[in-house]
Amino acid sequence: MSLDLLSAFAEFGFMRRALAGCLALSLAGAPIGTFLLLRRMSLVGDALAHAILPGAALGYLAAGLSLGAMTLGGLIAGFVVALLAGLVARATSLREDASLAAFYLLSLALGVVIISTRGSNVDLLRVLFGSVLALDDPTLTLLAGVASLTLLVFALIYRPLALETADPGFLASVSRSGGPAHLVFMALLVLNLVAGFHALGTLLSVGLMILPAATARLWTRSVGAMMALAAALGFASSLAGLALSYAQGWPTGPAIILCAGVVYALSLAFGRAGGLAARA
Amino acid sequence: MGDAMSAVTLRDLTLGYDGAPVIEGLSGRIEQGALLAVVGPNGAGKSSLMKAIMGQLSPRAGAVALGLPRREVAFLPQAAEIDASFPVDVYDFVAMGLWRRIGLWRGVDAAGRAAVAAALADVGLEGFEARPIRALSGGQRQRMLFARLALQEARLILLDEPFAAVDERTVGDLLALIEGWRAQGRAVVAVLHDLALVRARFPDTLLLARRAIAWGPTDVVLTPRNLARAAGMVEAAHAPPRGARA
Amino acid sequence: MLNRRALLAAPLLLAVPARASQSAAPMRVLASFSILADIVKKVGGERVAVEALVGPGADAHAFQPSPADAGKAAAARLVVVNGLGFDPWMERLAAAAGAKDRIVVAARDVPALKAADAHDGHAHASDLDPHAWQSAPNMRRYVGTIRAALEQADPQGDYAAGATTFLAELDALDADIRVAVAALPPNRRKVVTTHDAFGYFAAEYGLAFLAPKGVSNEAEPSARDLARIIRQIREEKIPAVFLENVVDPRLMQRIAAETGARIGGKLYSDSLSPPDGPAPTYLAMMRHNIRELTTALAP
Repeated sequence: MSLDLLSAFAEFGFMRRALAGCLALSLAGAPIGTFLLLRRMSLVGDALAHAILPGAALGYLAAGLSLGAMTLGGLIAGFVVALLAGLVARATSLREDASLAAFYLLSLALGVVIISTRGSNVDLLRVLFGSVLALDDPTLTLLAGVASLTLLVFALIYRPLALETADPGFLASVSRSGGPAHLVFMALLVLNLVAGFHALGTLLSVGLMILPAATARLWTRSVGAMMALAAALGFASSLAGLALSYAQGWPTGPAIILCAGVVYALSLAFGRAGGLAARA
Repeated sequence: MGDAMSAVTLRDLTLGYDGAPVIEGLSGRIEQGALLAVVGPNGAGKSSLMKAIMGQLSPRAGAVALGLPRREVAFLPQAAEIDASFPVDVYDFVAMGLWRRIGLWRGVDAAGRAAVAAALADVGLEGFEARPIRALSGGQRQRMLFARLALQEARLILLDEPFAAVDERTVGDLLALIEGWRAQGRAVVAVLHDLALVRARFPDTLLLARRAIAWGPTDVVLTPRNLARAAGMVEAAHAPPRGARA
Repeated sequence: MLNRRALLAAPLLLAVPARASQSAAPMRVLASFSILADIVKKVGGERVAVEALVGPGADAHAFQPSPADAGKAAAARLVVVNGLGFDPWMERLAAAAGAKDRIVVAARDVPALKAADAHDGHAHASDLDPHAWQSAPNMRRYVGTIRAALEQADPQGDYAAGATTFLAELDALDADIRVAVAALPPNRRKVVTTHDAFGYFAAEYGLAFLAPKGVSNEAEPSARDLARIIRQIREEKIPAVFLENVVDPRLMQRIAAETGARIGGKLYSDSLSPPDGPAPTYLAMMRHNIRELTTALAP
């Protein structure tokens, strides 16, 4: 079977492209997902992924399935909500929790309604689940560009961001870069969610950020190792999901996330740095 | 700036968040090389005072004037604000004390590494470099924070409840460290709860209960009368207005 | 809103059509969808006022009739349905509106074909392929059936002229299609399209329409489905793929890029286009389709 799979990648461009797209998403998603987890912002990430939907839907209304329009719409919606979420995050965590839940349901519903006014069921399925098998050149370029930019910028903001997460009081006492680092992080988050949206849709794009990072957390002791492992896990899940979609006919996006989820579940039980077995 | 200039000068300082101020009309000086304890009932504004000196809280009225550059001031906030589960080891955490040398992007050179090792040794944590911070006990964590503080080489050091939930032996070791800093001419201001400790080791005390009840040598400040006044001030602030039914 | 005057006037109104004269009001005919409406119009001319419940560009498969539609059925002298499982909702609607004896099944005399297997995305009521209008000879039978029904509903009307003209146009269309197909090399007479609506066209004119399994308008295709269709196109050297507006166009483009197949334009199968579009009438639709097919399949 594995030989058949290898030949599948040789035979079909769409398999190679899907893998390339997922590689980009995994590489960029790893540091972002890691810090979402460490900053206890996983739900914020999820809510933002849904916030993008009405923006992208408006872009779709304006210009159909245009990469540019939907990206721009998604970015604007994402940045606006990220700013609001950032403000809320400074308030008590109780309020943040409730308003995020309300918000994410609202934006999902709004996005679905907007798409339904003009589009068909297929369009709806595509924005909800993405079309990782249909990545055309502009989309792949976008994914690669976003990944490169993310890694570059992350290298620049790593120290203030890590300190802001671990010991914000100390950072505030020596530098004023905490606030800007957070803002840049949110901007990168929105950018990556919008990129991921094209490949995996609104429901799943954040999954490839969070699941590998959550899994890596259970095996590593340092942030660097966590990010590296998260990237590897994201890519491995993509490969496995693609393989399942090829061999068993499962829908590709969900298959990828399922694989990431299974690895996470196993790590919950067996992870060396925090799984159940390690604590027992 | 000459030695004659105070490290910190407070002029009629009023601080607050929303609603009633937590500090009102506080004036005084903290001299270089001082060893000052700040005590008072809960809600007396002690942490706010620390933040104001750090420049993290703006005065509603009055002023805080620093007699040294801000980068010469180091601050240890209350322990709760640190995320102890963050996956980082002791070495990386303590090395951040070298911020003045490394800033946002520079790496730590050989001299820096040696400084980190020395700082860890001074607090009794030699060999702890590779340990994850979440594996430390309360006392070990405080030692680690003091090591980082030492690396900052600040001339004014502010400590907010540095000994909360820390074992006696560690308290003793860290106090020795503080006295060592003072001998080097640094000023140390510490918010504390343990009055016995203050009486024993801190020459000066500020008894704070929204206003300065007393500020000066410890044995003059910490009289039963002053302490009762302090307790009364804070109660009065939280009591219902005169004439209203309870 | 009935008032006494309207009630008194009603019998007079009903009596009017009985006086067949040239200035009589046109007979109201309700058709289920746009293609049928067009045929009725061609045959009936000025003597009919025909309306389609499912208008141009709309999807008859997903149509939900409203109470107003029942009213239209009740008011019509003739209700034209396709049959063959295409529009069962229409027959139910007409029956509910008390118009059961005024229904004519247009595809009644057409030799029906079985539907192709694996009918993704369509839910037809029977296992017969309903798209019988896709061949001109079948359409001749539609014309016959509809003409007979019109004449029965309106004995005074002359429907011969309209029918004859239309039949002649159909013959011309049929001949043109055959010529166009004959001009294609034999190895370039197959296409892939996601809509399984061209079975009759294929049987009549010798073009093969392959509907890929899995790459339909409903589900997200898996890697396996996509691999299958690409392999099929490559192995059978199919020269063209046709986009439907119900399928992810980027996916179609990916298929075209990996197989070297040409992407064809839009084919109209279940409905006419709006009046300003390329297929506002049945004849225009068929001509548009054959033009798109030959353009895509030309060597």
